[in-house]
Amino acid sequence: MNFADSRRPLLGIHPLQWLVLAFVIALGIVPLSLAFTRLWAVTGITPWEAVTQVYELPAAKDALTFAVLEATVSTAFTVAIGLPLAWAFGRYSWRRMRLKRSLLFLPFVTPPIVAAAGFLALLSPGGIVYALGIDLRGETGIIGWMASVTGWEHPGHFIALIAAHVWFNLSLVVRFVEPVVAQLDPQWEEQLRLLPAGQTRLGRIQHLWMPILGPATTVAAAYTFFFSFTSFAMVKWLAPASNTLESLLGEMGGTAGIEGYRVDTSLAVLGIATFQTVMMLLMLALAGRFERKHSQVLSLHHETANRKKHGAAPTAWAWFANGLLVLLLAPLVSVVVASFRVRSTNGALAGSEWTLEGWKRAWSGDFSTVPVYDALANSLTYAALTLVVALPLGYAVASSLVRLRQGGHRRVAGMLDSLCMLPLSMSAVMVGLGMVAGILRWYPDLFSFPYLPVVPHVMLVLPFVIRLLTPAMERIEPKFAEQASLLSLSPFAFWWHSRGSFLVVPATMAGSLCLAFSLGEFGATYLVVRVGSWDSLSIMVDQVGSRPKFDPFVLPTAMALATVLMVVTLMVLTVNERARAWRVRHEV
Amino acid sequence: MRPLFLVALVLFAPMSGCLLEAEDSDCLPSQEKNTEGPLRILTYDIAAFSDEMLGEFSCNTGYDIELILADDAGGILELLLQTQQAPQADVAIGLDNTYLQSAIDFGLLAEHDVNTTHVEPSVLERYSGPFAVPFDQGDVCLNYDEREVDGENLTVPTSLWNLTEPAWNGKTVFPSPLTSSPGRAFMAATVSYFENDDDETTDAFDWWQAMFENGATVTTGWTEAYEIHYSGGYGAWVDGHLGDAAMTVSYCHSPGVEAYYSGNWTASTSLLLPGASFHQIEYGGLVNGSGNTEAANAFLTYLLSEEVNRNMPVNNLMQSVLVNATWPEVDGYRYHTDVPALNADLSTERIGEEMEAWLLAWTNAKNEAEA
Repeated sequence: MNFADSRRPLLGIHPLQWLVLAFVIALGIVPLSLAFTRLWAVTGITPWEAVTQVYELPAAKDALTFAVLEATVSTAFTVAIGLPLAWAFGRYSWRRMRLKRSLLFLPFVTPPIVAAAGFLALLSPGGIVYALGIDLRGETGIIGWMASVTGWEHPGHFIALIAAHVWFNLSLVVRFVEPVVAQLDPQWEEQLRLLPAGQTRLGRIQHLWMPILGPATTVAAAYTFFFSFTSFAMVKWLAPASNTLESLLGEMGGTAGIEGYRVDTSLAVLGIATFQTVMMLLMLALAGRFERKHSQVLSLHHETANRKKHGAAPTAWAWFANGLLVLLLAPLVSVVVASFRVRSTNGALAGSEWTLEGWKRAWSGDFSTVPVYDALANSLTYAALTLVVALPLGYAVASSLVRLRQGGHRRVAGMLDSLCMLPLSMSAVMVGLGMVAGILRWYPDLFSFPYLPVVPHVMLVLPFVIRLLTPAMERIEPKFAEQASLLSLSPFAFWWHSRGSFLVVPATMAGSLCLAFSLGEFGATYLVVRVGSWDSLSIMVDQVGSRPKFDPFVLPTAMALATVLMVVTLMVLTVNERARAWRVRHEV
Repeated sequence: MRPLFLVALVLFAPMSGCLLEAEDSDCLPSQEKNTEGPLRILTYDIAAFSDEMLGEFSCNTGYDIELILADDAGGILELLLQTQQAPQADVAIGLDNTYLQSAIDFGLLAEHDVNTTHVEPSVLERYSGPFAVPFDQGDVCLNYDEREVDGENLTVPTSLWNLTEPAWNGKTVFPSPLTSSPGRAFMAATVSYFENDDDETTDAFDWWQAMFENGATVTTGWTEAYEIHYSGGYGAWVDGHLGDAAMTVSYCHSPGVEAYYSGNWTASTSLLLPGASFHQIEYGGLVNGSGNTEAANAFLTYLLSEEVNRNMPVNNLMQSVLVNATWPEVDGYRYHTDVPALNADLSTERIGEEMEAWLLAWTNAKNEAEA
């Protein structure tokens, strides 16, 4: 592990590290290139020609307009709500902070179909939102009035979608902004208050908070826009009359890339995917740029000082933050409740009864769905393998990027960093198509490989692992390595004392995020599972939940599976928060 | 952390008894385990494949089963096409007669060795070749909500053109023929319907364009159309139901299924316009290039057996293909099931030849209406 004594022929990076970098970048580029090559071959026209032809499609134009609109509004609301929450969490001491952070992060790793089911339960008759007189689903009452006065089609569906996106992305704002608030040296604020520019709240916002929180907020906003723009399942269920480019691709994707069959679909997918990929790359490059700026700000400060100084949150802030957490939990609680409730119909009259039948069915499974414990075992196996593969790869890439930056090659590091983020820019349809095309071309027997779903999981979690480890490595003082080199240590001991021991906690956090993402991941697994027979818990939730619900026990069974998935994910996230708490206590 | 484990304990506790029940019900194989590897069945989530049914097959034959699930019939064809160079399944179950000819033309299926003499002859008239075995059937047709189509607000259509009138604006929903097999079957039915009507100046795609201009909703699959939009079905009790459509595409026996699950009550009924329904037959076939032929044939034979196929109406909500098949009398299943007098007149070969052109014409009609 000690590369200090090795030869570094290119920009100070060991050949093995270059190899890992190349592998990680290839993991993103190869499926995408294969998908494009295949679509190009099937349609006989270039991606750019496809873009110009697809532009004529009314559905594609509508989808682009809708995606830009809903992503912009989602981002604005997420930042408007998330920023004060992050500020409150970073500034004050809170009881059960670990649990609160885990709960806040839970939506981000909840499979979209589970989230959509939770929201639909809230919005439907019998749900809390409906009981408050707000009919976002049926669009009667005030929402219906809004629609008729403004001529806006389906305002209720749009509001529901925005609420779901805010729910999903709020943790991003808190994750990025809260540490900056918490790490701000309290003296800065005190000193500013003595200056004329810091006498007013507006002045302090302008001269302290905006410069400090701006980069982190922008990064969070960029990712929020990105995730909202590519939203698929939420749009499908909450705004059924509308499409984003991603949901349009999802509808067409199945028949794409097959020679001599439905070539019109391949053409549409090629055009839409090309356009979306270019947009995503631009957004990611922008987010990466802001994020690098953000990590420089982070490195200046210390943890805990603010919370110690300001103590417990004032009542208003406590109500705001705790109330928001309760609201965030509402869709998830409705999922749990739905697992115990079954509709009972007697002619035209409908009611509901409490039952354990959904749980019993989930537990025993049937031949087309494995029992819940088998699905859970599959999910945990995939998650563990994802961790085992992604963490070392992420470490090696982050280490290379840091070394390049420290060696003055910031531009090269930035470019490589963006390339490593490529998997985030890809539509799930393209990942699936690329994988199928690639596997068929090179190694068809891989379809029989029992751990194939791990591949897309690794692809998708690697960018997050790299994003977590890179700033942590940048914070390690070079003097530790200098001091360790003076001692006659073995290569491993040298690495441990100069670097490894400082990364235990960030690596634990990255590891538990790997587990949580892998457990909840749905899109890419789904596309691989379609050509295999691997049942993970998130796939099972979708499979069972998509069955015709003539049989009233279908929904409780799906929700029981979703509840198991949520509880397991929450446990994993709590480990993550324990690691973070340990880091704070030990000032690592 | 401790409260979380308590929550987990509470959630898992009710299920402990079921685990024992499952273990008790395990059967002992009557034959030695087959060593050729599991029989890989590519299908969609067919309800007929119950634990008992597949378990019994495994016990009787010694073949282990591995299911590969696609979304629907279209998904099966797509997977077969995508993996044609390296087949991932031994047998494909669930291709219907709107997809079958494409699968045969692409060389995706191999000849089977299954006795079909006990299959209803009218079913075999559609396809009796060596590449596929029918296993269930049903008529795809329009269903409507009797409470909405009450003769005052809306009247029962006597022609498909009635649905393009202002009264029906925004009150119809169709699963897309691009992504749904019932949607595709109904689109094929409209082709036949407008070829055989009195008006020679218009065709099916003029009607579809008029429907889109009249606010017809299109969904990806049958489930969204029936559960979310259709006001006459069980979707009314499912969270997220919109109920904005009084008419949708489903099966002529869907009202019977509704009644069966709701104590002999339903507000839904079929629209039996002559020629506007499609007799859908689902098939199983051996995947060309796969190895486990003997097991695949054994499974198709089992699927056509009396004990499995007669129970299709209850287990798979479709009709059996065996001679003298009937719908169950219980809870109004048969009473509320309609049988069309005249289905669309389209041969399997013609569907195979022209389907792509029809889909393109349907897409163009939609684009024209939206432009």
